[in-house]
Amino acid sequence: MIGNSVIKLQNIDVYQQKHLVLANVNLQIDKGEFVFLIGQTGSGKSSLLKIIYGELHIVNGEGNAAGYDLKKLLEKDVPFLRRKLGIVFQDFQLLTDRTVEQNLEFVMKATGWKDKTLIAERTRDVLEKVGLRSKIKKMPHELSGGEQQRVVIARALINDPEIILADEPTGNLDPDTSEEIVMLLRQISQSGTAVLMATHDYHIIRTFPSRIIKCEGGAVHEDAKI
Amino acid sequence: MEEFEASASSKKTKTIYISNVISISLVLLMVGLLGLILVHAKNLSNYVKENIVLNIIVNDGAKEVDIIALQKQIDANPSVLKTQYVSKELAARNLTKDLGEDFVEFLGYNPLLSSIDVYMKAEYANNASIESFSRQLQRNPLVKEVTYQKSLIDMVNQNIRIIGLIILVFATILTVIAIALINNTIRLAIYSQRFLIKSMQFVGATKSFIRRPFLTSGVLHGLIGGLIAIILLLVTLYFAQQQVPEMVILRNWTEFIIVFVAVIIIGILISGLSTYFAVRKYLRLKIYDLYR
Repeated sequence: MIGNSVIKLQNIDVYQQKHLVLANVNLQIDKGEFVFLIGQTGSGKSSLLKIIYGELHIVNGEGNAAGYDLKKLLEKDVPFLRRKLGIVFQDFQLLTDRTVEQNLEFVMKATGWKDKTLIAERTRDVLEKVGLRSKIKKMPHELSGGEQQRVVIARALINDPEIILADEPTGNLDPDTSEEIVMLLRQISQSGTAVLMATHDYHIIRTFPSRIIKCEGGAVHEDAKI
Repeated sequence: MEEFEASASSKKTKTIYISNVISISLVLLMVGLLGLILVHAKNLSNYVKENIVLNIIVNDGAKEVDIIALQKQIDANPSVLKTQYVSKELAARNLTKDLGEDFVEFLGYNPLLSSIDVYMKAEYANNASIESFSRQLQRNPLVKEVTYQKSLIDMVNQNIRIIGLIILVFATILTVIAIALINNTIRLAIYSQRFLIKSMQFVGATKSFIRRPFLTSGVLHGLIGGLIAIILLLVTLYFAQQQVPEMVILRNWTEFIIVFVAVIIIGILISGLSTYFAVRKYLRLKIYDLYR
């Protein structure tokens, strides 16, 4: 982490395979900030997120995410970078054959947690944060879409990340549930974890006025208006 | 609807695992059958070879004590499996039995000579070894003549070579098919889990952590497939021996156990390695490749 910033990208060119998607990107996100990332499909939003979570490598420029130098990031360091980031995606949901508790335990075991007492404590804590303490023994199919997304957010919070990267987290939800999810993400950002949320939902953006970054015409525009 | 999807997905996973184990066991059954055919073919070839007889005709008038000493000397040779002393009286009795009339009474004397029947060990039952052994024997003053069916030995060895070659070609083709089939089934099973693999990577799991449960189930499927194949092989052996009781003479449990252990090792190796490479592929894939 550099100073107060969780993400810092300087003069970065983002390539998707051999195609230049975004040029000369400069972006800084500070601790506890809530930022919307908008742009049309194919404008480079997901590619920008990929640079941050180490799926794409930086060719030109400098970058730092949660204290990791993205330019010098080695393959073996990627899992450890991701433990500092919470990733909430539409396509990467819960394991359908395990309870909420087992889903969270699975992530903890996958990220090096060993002490059973600490695992149980942390599971209760994160479920408390997302308001699902009572659903700990439920199977994912016994939860509503909004509740499932809350569990995904709880999963992202497990390792106390410095930033949550949310790619269309409300994509499959009705407007009321979407608002609840964004409110939850806002609360999380107020407690110190930054949130970068990619979305197409302009209603949400209007309802929760925040900093907006827009991917358009191969560039990233700061403080965009919708 | 969601409940249906979850139970459908769990059923799908179970179905994939079951079909995986069945495919592995069927392929291993084929490999095992070929192994058993190889063992039987080898034992049959040894049986045939070890029943080729060398007749060592002893000079008339040789003392029985000298003949028995010669027999002991021959027995001590490492290339000899067993010997049998056939006295001229025994030879006459045998021939009388074969002819159905007493030729000694008809001729007034026994024209047959005493002999030692020598059975060679399978690995020495070839013309080169027998010729050298025969030359060595002929230097002994007691030995009048050494006879054996040279053309039969050539024919047996040639046929065994051809059959061995055919089985080897079959074994190679079958092994390639076995590897391809098991590999394909496993790749499909892992393909269905590609999003799970990516999800695990997104939450910060290391590659080795992700690989571990897949490898464990890969090895376990290979082991279960191998055990099922062995049960099927034993059933096949039982019924084959019921149909052809003569097969009992070719039975060698030590070699059968070697085949069974090999079946399990092959199952574990192919299943484990295929799983390793399939998981590695999805661990290396970028997200956009998952949809292709």
